[in-house]
Amino acid sequence: MSEDENKVWPTGLTLKEAEEVHSYLIDGTRVFGAIALLAHMLVAISTPWLG
Amino acid sequence: MINLRDMALRRLVTLGPRYLPFADVATDEVPLSRLLRLSLFQVTVGMALVVLVGTLNRVMIVELAVPATLVSGMLALPLLFAPFRTLIGFKSDTHRSALGLRRAPYIWKGTLYQFGGFAIMPFALLVLSGYGEAIDAPRWIGLSAAALSFLLVGAGVHMVQTVGLALAADLVKDEDHPKVVGLMYVMLLVGMALSAVIYGALLSNYTPGRLIQVIQGSAVVTVALNLFALWKQEARDRNRAQQMALARHETFAAAWTCLTQTPGMSLLLVLIGFGTFGFGMADVLLEPYGGQALGFSVAQTTLLTAILATGTLLGFGIASRTLGNGRDPITLAAYGALIGVPGFLAIILSSLMIGAPLFVFGILAVGLGAGLFGHATLTATIRAAPEGRVGLSLGAWGAVQATCAGLGVLLAGLVRDVLVAFPGDAGLHMQTPYNVVFGIEMLFLVAAVIMATSLVANRDRRRDAAPKSVSQTHSVEVS
Repeated sequence: MSEDENKVWPTGLTLKEAEEVHSYLIDGTRVFGAIALLAHMLVAISTPWLG
Repeated sequence: MINLRDMALRRLVTLGPRYLPFADVATDEVPLSRLLRLSLFQVTVGMALVVLVGTLNRVMIVELAVPATLVSGMLALPLLFAPFRTLIGFKSDTHRSALGLRRAPYIWKGTLYQFGGFAIMPFALLVLSGYGEAIDAPRWIGLSAAALSFLLVGAGVHMVQTVGLALAADLVKDEDHPKVVGLMYVMLLVGMALSAVIYGALLSNYTPGRLIQVIQGSAVVTVALNLFALWKQEARDRNRAQQMALARHETFAAAWTCLTQTPGMSLLLVLIGFGTFGFGMADVLLEPYGGQALGFSVAQTTLLTAILATGTLLGFGIASRTLGNGRDPITLAAYGALIGVPGFLAIILSSLMIGAPLFVFGILAVGLGAGLFGHATLTATIRAAPEGRVGLSLGAWGAVQATCAGLGVLLAGLVRDVLVAFPGDAGLHMQTPYNVVFGIEMLFLVAAVIMATSLVANRDRRRDAAPKSVSQTHSVEVS
């Protein structure tokens, strides 16, 4: 892989731009995961489905 | 094998950019359909406001039997975040992005918080109210989870609205700002009206399952609408990205000082606060006032809210038109507050004489005044923003506006709760306490009128003192 910063890859993005798009995806997944975990815990408290 | 890979790659190349959520080129002329689509974020904001202020207020007290003081405390939590709007706006102004984006990342983050808050809210409320096994759970779990969900929704709303308005202001030319502001306000009103009706219908047969469905449904609707609104709105821009990477930004404190020292800006913010507070208490109190002081039925009092909204819509329309023709927004804001004063007077007098017709006239006038005032002050804020600080300026507008509107609603709710519990035969007329509140609102509006006229006078004086330089900036301001 060449390290040219300004190279536009076939997606139409440079490496830095692609990394930024990726970071939005990662952040979104993290927040979503945390929310899902919390929601499951709250449901388990009110209506336990295990044990 | 290799051929297949090659083919797939070629396909991806042609597909790639089309499926990225930002525009490839910035167009000069933004079509109305695109602005309409962008304004959908205001619908989700309206939805969240209705859930927080209206729906959950009732559901938590009536169906979940949570103590009323706790409910008010919880619902006031999002207000704590309002001052941070200035910071959010500033951060979006000075954002560094390899894609050259300034607003979209923040709208996306705000959407996520809004979604997250709604997603955990029903369970948090059920735990808080001790539903099922949660009755044995420690109290702090329900409390902190509910508080967190309200905070998340509130933070999301503040982010989405501040940065969304900044994006809208970025997209259109200066002379079109009044139209965009009008559109945004109308969509907020539409969102609130629609969601109030829909939530009312959906939650009329309350079950815990229904509560979960409705609130989580709003979470999904929020994400869907905001993504649709945001899609390809902000242009990806390599030149701007390079400028962003090189730019050196002042600190938030410095930018804030610079903003407040912009001539007339701090007074404008105080004006917004007074006017918003003056108008803001009305919509909560009108319905109980109509019911208790004038003997309207429940269906009739609901109609009152519709009349108020009609007046407000009229105000937005008139403001869009006159400001688009180059009228001065602060003068128009003064007229808006001025119309509100006889409106409240009519409302007060209607309990003593004439009755319903005078009351309806008063509500219409208050709605009209609120529409004119809200539109004119937001337009004035956008126009007064220093170069490259639209986000910060809108953040300041939002912080003042949301805080004062929220305080107004809270105070009005407090007054209403006290009054509803008030025994009828205490020797005091039912309408007296209401009228005291309406009188206070009138005073605030009178103060707003005085401030607006002094703002205009100050500016004219400055223009006379330094005809050359100021007339230039003034023409930019008004254009």
